[in-house]
Amino acid sequence: MSLCIHCDENILIPIFNDHDMDHKEPFCCSGCMTVFNVINNKGLEKYYEIKRNSAIFKRRSPADNKFQQFSFLDGQDFLNEYSYQNQTETKTMEFYLEGIHCLACLWLIEKLPEYLDGALLCRLDMQRSVATVTMKNNAFFSSVARELNNLGYKPHPLKRNQSIHDLKNKEERKMLLKIGIAGAAAGNIMMYAISIYAGADGKLAHLFNIITILFAMPVLLYCSSPFYKNAWNAIKNRTLSIDIPISMALIMGGIFGVYNEIIGVNENFFDSLTALVFLLLLSRYFLTKIQEEGLTANDLNFFYEGNTVLKKEQNKFIEIHPQFLKVGDVIKVSSNEMIPADGVIIEGHTLINSSLLTGESRPINTGLNEKVFSGTINLSNEILIQIEEVKENSRIGKILKKIESGWIQKSHIVDLTNKISKYFVAAVFILSAVLFLTLYMQGKTRTALERSLTLLIVTCPCALALATPLTLTRTLSRASKLGIIIKNNEVIEKLATIKTVFLDKTGTITYGVLKVDSFNTISNSQIPIFEVISSLEKLSVHPVALALKEYSLQNGANIFHPVNNYQELMGKGVYGQIGSHFYEIKNGEIFEDNKRIAYFTLEDHVRKDSKPAIAQLKTLGLDVLMISGDSKLVAEPLAIEAGIESANIFAEMSPENKLAVIEKHSHSIMVGDGANDAMALSRAFVSVAVLGSLDISLRASDIFLTTPGISHLPHLITISRETMKVVRRNLVLSLIYNSISVYAAFTGMISPMVAAIIMPVSSLTVLASTIAGTKKLNENLKQGIN
Amino acid sequence: MEVITILIPLAILLALSFIAGFIWMTMKGQYDDLETPAMRMLIDDKKININSDSNKEKK
Repeated sequence: MSLCIHCDENILIPIFNDHDMDHKEPFCCSGCMTVFNVINNKGLEKYYEIKRNSAIFKRRSPADNKFQQFSFLDGQDFLNEYSYQNQTETKTMEFYLEGIHCLACLWLIEKLPEYLDGALLCRLDMQRSVATVTMKNNAFFSSVARELNNLGYKPHPLKRNQSIHDLKNKEERKMLLKIGIAGAAAGNIMMYAISIYAGADGKLAHLFNIITILFAMPVLLYCSSPFYKNAWNAIKNRTLSIDIPISMALIMGGIFGVYNEIIGVNENFFDSLTALVFLLLLSRYFLTKIQEEGLTANDLNFFYEGNTVLKKEQNKFIEIHPQFLKVGDVIKVSSNEMIPADGVIIEGHTLINSSLLTGESRPINTGLNEKVFSGTINLSNEILIQIEEVKENSRIGKILKKIESGWIQKSHIVDLTNKISKYFVAAVFILSAVLFLTLYMQGKTRTALERSLTLLIVTCPCALALATPLTLTRTLSRASKLGIIIKNNEVIEKLATIKTVFLDKTGTITYGVLKVDSFNTISNSQIPIFEVISSLEKLSVHPVALALKEYSLQNGANIFHPVNNYQELMGKGVYGQIGSHFYEIKNGEIFEDNKRIAYFTLEDHVRKDSKPAIAQLKTLGLDVLMISGDSKLVAEPLAIEAGIESANIFAEMSPENKLAVIEKHSHSIMVGDGANDAMALSRAFVSVAVLGSLDISLRASDIFLTTPGISHLPHLITISRETMKVVRRNLVLSLIYNSISVYAAFTGMISPMVAAIIMPVSSLTVLASTIAGTKKLNENLKQGIN
Repeated sequence: MEVITILIPLAILLALSFIAGFIWMTMKGQYDDLETPAMRMLIDDKKININSDSNKEKK
C-alpha cells in the first residue's frame, strides 16, 4: 500500500494528477491533491523537502479543504470584535489553524507575506497552533483565510482580548520571574555563605552576612508567595497542604536570620532555604508545563460552531460566522458539512451522521420537517434548515455546559504528600515543643529558643515536597512520548486505585467503521462483480459504500466502468447502467438486470488489539465493563468476541444513562470517544479519550491516547501503579533525612553548615530515586506497546 | 584585602544587572513561546520563487 504524498496516510484508492502520467505522486483524496497543487503552483514545493527532513514529524490528517470565501471576515462588525487596529495603518488578527504539525508547516505559514499581497507579517506559535497575521488596512483578512484554507490549514479566527489567554500568559511570566530571581539569589547567597563557612571573620563575615540577608529578602518576600498563598488557602479551607510546613520553615528561617543579625551572630539558613525555593518552584513549573501540552480546554470552544455558514438573505446566500446566527434564520448546509445549530429541515432530505450526539454509527435518513441538531454531520445532500436553537441552547451546547460544570464538580483528591503533611506538621510541632521545654527546664532559655527554631527550619520537608512533582513530571513526559497525554496530575494517583473499567463500544473496542463481514455470490455477472461494485459506489460517501469499495478493492477490482443513469436512493442503495446491463445495490443485495446475483452483510469489527488489552486489564485485577448506545443485539456478540462477559454489558445507554451508571461506580475509569460519552467522561473518576475522539470528548477527559484503540490502557494502569511506588519510596527517603535532621537538632549538632549539606543531599537522593524508577516502570515507559 | 571593597560591590552589581536583564526579557515576552523560535531558525530566509506560477500550469 502506498502513502499519500501530502499527508502520509495509507491510501486505499490512489488518485493522481492529470499530468502525472507515471503515477509517481499518489494522493489519498482530492483534498490532499488540491493542496499539493496549490503549494507547488506557488513555488513552495520546498515544504515537502523540509517535511521529509524534519525530525519532529507527526502525521497530519488528510486535507479537508472545502472552498470557502470567508467574506464574513471583512464585515465591520466582525473586525471590531476579532481584529486589532495597530497605529501604523495596519491590522492584526489571530487564527487557530487545524493541522499544524511540524517545521514544514511553520515554514509554509510564515512565508505567507511573500505570496500574498497585503500581508505584512505572519507569526506562528507552534504550541498553540495560533498564527498572528498583520495586514495593511486596505487588505482583506478573507484573502488570508482563503490562502490558509487552500494550503490545508483550516483557519478559525480567534476573538480579540482573550482575557483567559492573556491572564495565563501573565501568570506564566510571573512564575518564570520568581524562578529566575530565586535561582540568582540562591547562587549569590551560596558564594557568601561558603566564605563564612570557610572561616571569614570579623567585619568581613558581618558584611557577608548582611549581603546574604539582602539577597534572601526578595526570595522570601516575593518568590515564595505561591507557598504562602497555598498554605493560607489550605488553612482557610481546613484542608492539608505540604505548603504549610514549607511556609512555616521559610518564615521561621527569615525571623531567625534577621534576629541573629541583630544580636550579632553571623548565622542564618538562607543558603539552604533559597536553594529550596528555587528547586521547588522549578519542579512545579515543569509539572504544569507538561500538563499544558496538547489541547487546552479554552481553545476548543469554537470547534462545535464550525466555521462559515451560508445564511439566506433575500434569495441570496451570504457567508457569516456561526456566532452571528439567530433563531429563525434559514441556512444552507452542503454535503459533508457540520450542522451549526439545532433546527428543522425546510428543503431537501439527506443522511445525517449523528454519532457525535448518540454514538449511533449508522447514518439516519432525515427529511422535510424533521429536526436536526448542531454538531451532527450532513452526509449526502444539500439541505435548507430553519434554525430553532443556537449556541448554548442547542442540544450540544447544553451537553457542553454540563461537561463544564462536571469539570468543576469533579472530585479532587488530596494527594499523598499533602496527606502526610498533617502528621508531619504535628510531629514537628510536638518535637520542637518537647525540645524547647526540656532545655527551658534546664534554665537555658536562649538555647531552647534557638534549637527549637532550628528544628522547625531544618525539618522543612523539601525532599518531601519535591518527591511527587519530580516523579510525576518524569512519568508524564515519558508517557506523552508514548502517545499517552495526561492532562491532570492527580490522575496518576487516582489510576493506581482503579477497580472498574468502562469501555465504550463504537470506535473504542471496535474500529467504528463498517466492514464487509460475509459476501456470497449466487451467479456470475457479465462484468466482474467487484468492478461493478467499485464503479457504482465510486461517488457515494455512505459508510456501506465505503465498506464495499474497500472490499472490492481488496479483491482486485481496479477498473472503473462508466456508469449511466446513476442514482443514489437515500439510505437505500444505488443503481445505474454499466454497458448494456442494469445494476442495483440495495439492502445487502446486488442485482443484475433485476436478478439477484449476490448478497453481503456488514459488521463493525472488534479491533485486533482489544482482546489482548482487555485480557491484560483483567490480569491486573480490574473489572471490565462495556457501555454502549447501541442495541444489545449489536453490542453483545462484539463484547463477547472482545472477551467481556455478557453480564458486564450495558447496552442502549443514552448519554444521561451512561452518566448515571458511571456515577454509581466509584474508582472507575471511563474510556470513550464520542460526545455521547462526553458527559460520562466528565464525571468519571478518571476518563480516557481514544484516538479519533471528537474534540468534545478530548475536552472532557483526563487522558488522551494518541494511538488507536485501547492497547495502551494496561500500560497506563501499570505505569500509574509503578509511579506511585516511586512516589512512596521518595517519601520514605525524605522522611529518613528529616529524622536525621530532627536528631541533629535535638543534640545541638546542627548548624547552618550541616543544614546546607543535608538539604541538597536529600533532594539529590530523591532526584536519583526518581530517575532510577522501578524496573517495571522503566520497561513500560520504554516499550509501551510492541 | 582592600581590593575586596571594590570587588564585592562589583560582583553584586553584576548579579543585579543580570537579574534586571532577566526581568526585562521576561516582561517583554521573550520566554512566552519556547518552541517555535527554536524551529524558526532552521528555516532559511531565501525568498521563494513566485514566478514559477505560470510554468507549472503548462505542465
